[in-house]
Amino acid sequence: MTKKQSRTGIRTVLLFLFAAVLLVVGGIGTATASPLIKSEYYSGGVEMYDIGVTLCENGEAVSSRNYTKNERYVTEESYAPLLATIVPEGEQFHMGQTYSEVLTVKNTGNIDEYVRATVYKYWMDENGKKLTTLSPDMIDLNLVTGSGWIEDETLSTTERTVLYYREILPIGEETQAFSDTLTVSGTLPFKVTQTEKDGVITTKYDYENVTFQIEVHVDAVQTHNAAAAIKSAWGCDVTVYDDGTLSIS
Amino acid sequence: MNMKKAMKKWILPLLVMVLLLSAALKPALAYFTTYSWAKGGYTVHQESRTKIEEDFSKWTKNITVTNTEGEPVYVRARAFAGSAYALIYSGDGWSDGGDGWWYYASPVAAGEKTASPLSVKIENIPKAEMDAGFNVAVVYESTRVQYSADGTPFYDFSQTLDRGGEQ
Repeated sequence: MTKKQSRTGIRTVLLFLFAAVLLVVGGIGTATASPLIKSEYYSGGVEMYDIGVTLCENGEAVSSRNYTKNERYVTEESYAPLLATIVPEGEQFHMGQTYSEVLTVKNTGNIDEYVRATVYKYWMDENGKKLTTLSPDMIDLNLVTGSGWIEDETLSTTERTVLYYREILPIGEETQAFSDTLTVSGTLPFKVTQTEKDGVITTKYDYENVTFQIEVHVDAVQTHNAAAAIKSAWGCDVTVYDDGTLSIS
Repeated sequence: MNMKKAMKKWILPLLVMVLLLSAALKPALAYFTTYSWAKGGYTVHQESRTKIEEDFSKWTKNITVTNTEGEPVYVRARAFAGSAYALIYSGDGWSDGGDGWWYYASPVAAGEKTASPLSVKIENIPKAEMDAGFNVAVVYESTRVQYSADGTPFYDFSQTLDRGGEQ
């Protein structure tokens, strides 16, 4: 090895060490930990900002996803099916009857947040395959807009509705309801398709042995630097006013 | 040759710098977000099958309608005969609709039948017809039970089929 080659090797190793030191320092900088004085014994703690959200149905939590304290990448999750408790025990679901379906979103994290809800309604066959020929309009989940919720009509279809909660949702608080009742049309039993072959007319129910589905997704995002955060997380442009309310741009 | 050496010398440090930059980029774009979801639904059925049974004794037809399978239904029935005969209807749970039909008050669930028969007594049969034979025809209809918003069951025999999907 020549003297020149040796110098180059040392320079490379030094650069490596420098890069490693920078990486470590950078990692510490992004943790944004703040020490808290807790007692006279001067013991310290680290407060982490954990976001959490829970979908509630008729006052009961249905599903949630909360980041646990001090472990950002560990979550507490729960899930229960929607609509499972709207029919009293021993009874059957009836088309035409109106059922209570009060849906809200609760902040179950430890930071304030903005939330949105995306509601899907559709039909499936017995194999779980979506039936796009059957009308989602027959499923009337009565959405309550104007009570803090605004609809993004540019994203809405007959199957999907996207709703944003205008206010900041403080820690532990619950939004106003974005739906209040569910009614599946009582006219379904009379919707048929008739076909004729070789003089034989066959009548078939359009909605026989099919399953209607209500699917609700709730998203939450931090309030700090909200417009950018919402753009990044949800892909939409919003305007955030001084009082914390937002509107869709 | 010198060019090659220079490139070799800087490739590694450059790679390190790119790595550093990308490491710094990630936290800058990260926001606190979370989500949750749930879904649910019910399967709906429309079909039902019914059958009528009659027995005849003492100039009275006793009519029973059975829901053999499917969804609950309401039923109604009536009899047709010559104008010379009087048809006298009776039966617990059956009532005169005033339109020629007699209606059974309760929904008939799958596997059940009208709890009591609709009895149609035939009176004033002319002697000549009694010897030669006569006909009293019974017809019935069933319709799917419907529900109002508060869950009260009701029937609507005037409801017609919607052939919107006709092919």
